[in-house]
Amino acid sequence: MRFPDILRAASKGVTVNLLRSFLTMLGIIIGVGAVVLMSAVGESMQGVILSQISSLGPKSMVIFPGQQEGGASAVATGFDSLTFEDIRELEQLKTVTAIAPAIFVPQEVSYGRESGNPRVVGVTDTFFLNQNVTARTGRLIDEDDVGGAKAVAVMGPESVEKFFGSGDPLGKRLKIGDRHFTVVGTANKIGSQFFQSVDDRIFIPLSLAKDLTGQKYVNLITMQATGSFDLAFDDVNALLRRRHSINNPKNDPAKDDFIVRSAAQASEILGSVTLGLTLFITTVATISLIVGGIGIMNIMLVSVSERTQEIGLRKAIGATRRDILLQFLTEAVVLTVIGGIIGIVGGIALAWLLSFIVRIFLSTYIFAVSPAATVVAFVMAFFTGLLFGINPARKAAALQPIEALRYE
Amino acid sequence: MQSSLIQTIDLCKSYDNDGVVTPVLYDINLRIDRGEFISIMGPSGSGKSTLMHILGFLDLHSKGQYLFQGQPTATFNDDDLARIRATRVSFVFQSFNLLPRTTVRENVMLPLLYHPTIPAAEREERTLKAIELVGLSDRRDYFSSQLSGGQKQRVAIARALVTDPDVIFADEPTGNLDSASGVAVMQALQTLNDKGHTIILVTHERTTAEHAQRIVHIRDGRIVTDSKDFKRVMAGQTDQLK
Repeated sequence: MRFPDILRAASKGVTVNLLRSFLTMLGIIIGVGAVVLMSAVGESMQGVILSQISSLGPKSMVIFPGQQEGGASAVATGFDSLTFEDIRELEQLKTVTAIAPAIFVPQEVSYGRESGNPRVVGVTDTFFLNQNVTARTGRLIDEDDVGGAKAVAVMGPESVEKFFGSGDPLGKRLKIGDRHFTVVGTANKIGSQFFQSVDDRIFIPLSLAKDLTGQKYVNLITMQATGSFDLAFDDVNALLRRRHSINNPKNDPAKDDFIVRSAAQASEILGSVTLGLTLFITTVATISLIVGGIGIMNIMLVSVSERTQEIGLRKAIGATRRDILLQFLTEAVVLTVIGGIIGIVGGIALAWLLSFIVRIFLSTYIFAVSPAATVVAFVMAFFTGLLFGINPARKAAALQPIEALRYE
Repeated sequence: MQSSLIQTIDLCKSYDNDGVVTPVLYDINLRIDRGEFISIMGPSGSGKSTLMHILGFLDLHSKGQYLFQGQPTATFNDDDLARIRATRVSFVFQSFNLLPRTTVRENVMLPLLYHPTIPAAEREERTLKAIELVGLSDRRDYFSSQLSGGQKQRVAIARALVTDPDVIFADEPTGNLDSASGVAVMQALQTLNDKGHTIILVTHERTTAEHAQRIVHIRDGRIVTDSKDFKRVMAGQTDQLK
């Protein structure tokens, strides 16, 4: 029997009872669908990690004031533990450079009738380097602005959109608190940092932020590791603990009153999440495909029993053992391949829907599919059919024609 | 001397069920030549169907010899037997054995899928010709479930002749049919014989057996008469019944 004829006979076997075939495939559909969905989520998360790294730079570090709760990454705000004296001492360390503090100005911003509470951040020119912020139009805040405490502002794209729509904000005067600032530049889109959008920020000179808030402490310190991130991390921790009189030899993050974060760390955390996800996918895939495979074998065995007379007839008119074996094996593979295709389409569709929901919380989450995982899932479905189809197919092929014809 | 199409020499068949041996056929000596129309008659359990299955390569004999076109068949392996079933012999069964949810055309074409030498391009033409020969051209796209018993058996006959085999074995082909349909089926077999096909018919019905030129009568696994004289065989059968 030629292969196209075998394929046609196998397809007929599958389509004769569509509902049963669909139920038989269900295990494979769920298995493959789960793999495709999970790997798509993993792929999208990779995209998030990459955007983190590219927005912060691989050597960038950030120190937040506050305490890490229970080892999780939650950052408490409102702490006044980081001071300008800390910054002066940090500047003496050789393992870090480009130290740039920032002060948040929690005051209302308005322009004409528009008002709102975007994040107003007092920064120095170095801050922009550390955070990969570049000017889209106009210029960024420079040393003169900081030194001279000039009332100028640089707006992130989301704030431009909010206050000016599609208009040009350059030269316009924004009101922050009770003072007016001239917009001298706009920043390019960055996306998110530490899973928070940072494109709504309005930057003003650090010196003015100090005046506006009267703060003696800073809300954030950004810097770059000169060499190894680990060495820099240890140095910064040691220095701040010494200055803040914290005895923490076991590196318990709950004892510190500051938190050091880096892009590398963020990617490490997400890397371990991704690894966990990969293990989870593999487990789900293996269990589902085994369950699916057993389902296929079960139904194929029933099918061989039900179609014993047909097998007898086929043998009576000249089918060889090989013909019968291939027909039933192909039928099992057709079932798993169709199941695999439905699973892939379903998994991709779910991943696509999911991306809309996740984007509400994580703006850099972009729908992505892992081609490698999809191909692997499909190939695994194919081999599941082959593996679990072989037993029923051999049973069918081994039937003696006369016994099969007499079977009732 | 040209060898017979089929020859058996002291052919025996017994079944072994977990050590319990049940003999079914004893010392069957039979010669069937090309173009014959032969009826194998006998009551239920006489062994006539078993003999047909052995002659048609659906079952194997236990002892003796079976020569097909002069060749001993004992050495044939599974693939050889499948090849002979695909090319040289074909069957018409009492219960039709058509594939369900499959059209007349697909059923008739089925043996061609397993035929090693008939090219795919010839299938359609051969199929339609076979369907025409049994007078079912207007039903070729019907599903087998949409046909009457007589029509189903004619489809089975078309399927049997589509590969142009040397021998067609018919096992009680009219057993499940009303008399009018039975006549039509026997006429179809008669037409095939007229065209040169060898027909071996297994039946216990006298009226069906009458279509054959030669009747072999089997009782308790042995040939009791083998004659071309129909009246003599029937008389012998009646004597035995007495």
